[in-house]
Amino acid sequence: MWSTAREIAAGDTVILWLTRELVQSLVVTPGKDFQSKYGHYRHSDFVGIPYGSKIGSRTGKGFIHILRPTPELWTMALPHRTQILYIADISFIISYLDIRRGSRVIEAGTGSGSFSHSVARSIGPSGRLWSYEFHEARAKKAKEEFAQHGMSDIVTLTHQNVCKDGFNLTDAADSVFLDLPAPWDAVEHAKQALRKDRTTRICCFSPCMEQVLRTVSALNDAGFSDITMYETLVRPHDVNQVPALQSITEVAEKLKKAEGVREIKRLRQIAAGQKSHENPHGEKRKWSQEVGDQGELPVAEAEDSGSGKRLKTDDEMDDGTPSQNADVSRSLDEPATQTVRAGASIPAPPAKISVSKAIPEVRGHTSYLTFATLLPPMPPALPESTLPQGPETT
Amino acid sequence: MSASTPDFNTRKSTIQSGSTILFRLPNGDAKAVKVDKDCNVSLGRLGVFYANELINEPFGRTYDIVDKKLTLIPPRTLAEVEDTDATNEYINDGEFVQPLTLEEIQSLKQSGAHASEIIKMQIEQHANYSLKTEYSKEKYKKRKEAKYSKIFTTIDPTLFNVCEYWFKKDQTRIRDIRVDALSQILNMANIRPGGRYLAVDDASGLLVSGILERMGGMGRLITICNTDSPPAYPVMVHMNFTNETIAPLSSLNWATADQSHIPVAPPVELPSEQIKSDRQQSRLNKRKAATDLLNSTREDLFAGEFDALIVASEYEPFSILEKLVPFVAGSGSIVIQSPFGQILSEVHTKLRALPGYLCPSLTEVWLRRYQVLPGRTHPTMNTSGSGGFILHAIKVYNDENANAITSHRRPKPTANNSSSNKIIIAADASMEDAEEA
Repeated sequence: MWSTAREIAAGDTVILWLTRELVQSLVVTPGKDFQSKYGHYRHSDFVGIPYGSKIGSRTGKGFIHILRPTPELWTMALPHRTQILYIADISFIISYLDIRRGSRVIEAGTGSGSFSHSVARSIGPSGRLWSYEFHEARAKKAKEEFAQHGMSDIVTLTHQNVCKDGFNLTDAADSVFLDLPAPWDAVEHAKQALRKDRTTRICCFSPCMEQVLRTVSALNDAGFSDITMYETLVRPHDVNQVPALQSITEVAEKLKKAEGVREIKRLRQIAAGQKSHENPHGEKRKWSQEVGDQGELPVAEAEDSGSGKRLKTDDEMDDGTPSQNADVSRSLDEPATQTVRAGASIPAPPAKISVSKAIPEVRGHTSYLTFATLLPPMPPALPESTLPQGPETT
Repeated sequence: MSASTPDFNTRKSTIQSGSTILFRLPNGDAKAVKVDKDCNVSLGRLGVFYANELINEPFGRTYDIVDKKLTLIPPRTLAEVEDTDATNEYINDGEFVQPLTLEEIQSLKQSGAHASEIIKMQIEQHANYSLKTEYSKEKYKKRKEAKYSKIFTTIDPTLFNVCEYWFKKDQTRIRDIRVDALSQILNMANIRPGGRYLAVDDASGLLVSGILERMGGMGRLITICNTDSPPAYPVMVHMNFTNETIAPLSSLNWATADQSHIPVAPPVELPSEQIKSDRQQSRLNKRKAATDLLNSTREDLFAGEFDALIVASEYEPFSILEKLVPFVAGSGSIVIQSPFGQILSEVHTKLRALPGYLCPSLTEVWLRRYQVLPGRTHPTMNTSGSGGFILHAIKVYNDENANAITSHRRPKPTANNSSSNKIIIAADASMEDAEEA
C-alpha cells in the first residue's frame, strides 16, 4: 500500500497533522507549496526527512507533523463523499468476519473507502477485496484513490448496483460486508458469491432497527445461521489534572476558628456597648486604642456587624484576621487558597491528581452490525428431515 | 492470481488431530477439549464420542450425541413465534405444576431416552403449560433443552471466538480485553502482514495471538516478558496456529531487553578434549542455539524502527514506554491497554508534556449485543460492564527549533537544520499551544 521506507520520498502520500481536528493527506510533489494557518512549507522540504518528523514553517512561526498514512489516519483525513465508518465499527467487523492475511472479501458499497483501506491493510497483497459502488462518480474517485495508494493489486472496484445485478462471483469470497440502504435485496446474491467449502460470514451495516429486522429475516430465509447483532462505540475521555481533594477536617477546623473569632467579637461588642452607655463621649478614642492593642481591623468589625450570619470565606479570613494567630491561619489556608487560584496548567508540586471522564458530547450511534454465518452445506447422505435444532442461546 | 491460492495456513479450516477445540454446549457455555486421533472426547454431562468422527470436519457444525455416536444436525433457523392472547393472568408462583419427579426423570435418562422425549413428557405432564404464552413456552423448552440435550457445536477458532471464550471464562487473566477492545488495539497498532512489532503481553497471550494472526506469518514480533524462560501464552493454544504463523515471534525479558545489560551465558564451546559424550555435545549445541537466538533477538530489538508498540501489562506503563519507545519508528503507533482508566490517565498526563508523543488520547470501549428473534429483538439482559481502556499516541521526532504560531519568535534556526531526529524528553508546551490554537 503506502511507503514503508523510513524517509519520505517524492510521490509519497503523506499525512499532515496540523491539529487533532485538522488532518490532511498530500502527495509530495517537489515544486509545490503547502500553505496553511500553521505556516508555509515547500514539498521539497519534506523529501528525505523521516516519517514522524515535526517540521517548522519557513516563516519561523507554526509547525506541522508529517506522518506515514495508516488506514486509521486516512479515515481522519479522507475527503468525505458519503457517511463513513469509524474505527470502532471497522475493527469489530474485521474481527468478526475473520478477515486476515489472504482473505477474500466483498464490500458494497465502496462509499468513501474508509473500510476498504482497513480491509486492504489486513488482507495484504495475497488477499483480495471486491468492492462495488453504484454511484458512478464515487466509483471513479475511489478507483483513483486506490491506485494512488498502491492498492490496485488488492482491490477490484466495480461500478455496479449489487441489489439489482449481484456480484458476478460464485463460491469466491470468505466474507461479505454490506453497507447498503436495502441490504436484504443483496442477501441472495451474497450467498451465491460466498464459498461453500468452509464457514463464511456476512455483516450488514444499517442505522435503523427496521432495516435490521428485514435483513434478519432475509438472512434467515437464505439459510444463514448464528444471526446476531451488535452495537459498538468508542467513548473518548478527557484527562485533566486537578488538586487533590481537600478533607472536610480542614474545612471544619476553619469553621471552628471562625466561630471562635465571631464569639470574641460579639463579646467585645457587648463590652464596648456597655462602656459607651456608661461613657458616651469617650467611646471613639478608647475603641481605636483597643483596636491597636488587639490588632483587629475595623473592616472586619464593620463586616461583622453588617451581616453577622454569613459564613466567611478563606479570603475574608485572611484579610480580616492577620493578628496573633496569623501564622497558624496562614499555614492552614495557604495550600487551599493556592490550589483554588492555580490554574490546571501551572504545575504545582503538592498533590495533583490525574482524572478522566467521558467527554460531554459523544457519538451515540453509528449503525447496527448484523452478523450471520453460512455453513458448508450438509453432506447429502444425511436426512434433511431432522428437526432443526441447535444449542443457540436465547 | 492470488485469489486462487488456498488457505494461508494461519490455521487449518478443518478440525485436525491434536487441536484444542472449543465446543458450544446446550447451555451456551463453551468448553475447550483436546481432540486426538483414535481417542475418546469427553464433554462431561453430554457424554463421550470417538474423536475420529470430528477430524477433518469443518468448524461450526452441530451434532447430537446418540449412543456415543455423532449425528450431524442442520443449523438452527429462527422460528417465527405465533402470537396468541395467552397471558400470565392465571399463572401463580409456587404452584405444583410438574408431577414428573426427579427420580423419574433420572431413570428416563438412564434408560437412554432422548432429550426431546423427556422434554415432551415434561410438557405433557405440566399443569399450566397450555396457559403459557408462546414466548414463554419457547423459553421453557429452551431451558429444558439446556438441561437434557446432548447437542453441541464446534466453534471456529477465530480470534473473535477465542477472545470471547476467554473473556467469559476468566476476564481478569486477559486483563479485561474484550473483543471490541482487542479489535481496536490491532487496528490502532496498524498490524499487517510484514510489519515489525513490539509487544508486552501480560494478558495470557491474547495480544500476541491477535498480532500473530494479523501478521499471517510475515514480519517480526518481539515480546518482552517477566520470566526467565520463554513466556507461556495459553490463549495461543486455542488459536491452533500453524508453525508458519508463530515463526515471527521471539521473546526477551526485562533484563535481556536492557541494552546496557550483558546477559550471563554459560560457555557454548568447549575444547574438544573436554567433550566426553555425544549427549554433552548435543547439550552444548542446544545451548548455543539458545544463546544465538537471544543475541539475534537483542540485535533486532536494538536496531529499532518498529512499526508499533502494544502494551497490556501489569507493570507501570510509563516505565515500559521509557524503555521501549526509543525502538519505535517515527510515526509508529503506541497503544496501551488497561482495565483501569486511572492508570492510563496518569500516563496520559505525562505523555502530554512530552514532545515525542503526538496526540495522546484515552478512550473506553463500549459494546452491546442484541437478541435478534422475530418479534423479540432487544439488547441482551446481561452484558459485560467494561472492556477496558486504551491509550493511543503516535511517536514523533521533535524539532526544538520549530515554534508554535502563538509563541514568541525565537532566534532563527541555523541553515537547513529543520529537523533533529532525537526524541527529547523534556516538557515543551509549544505543542499544546498549537493544538489549542
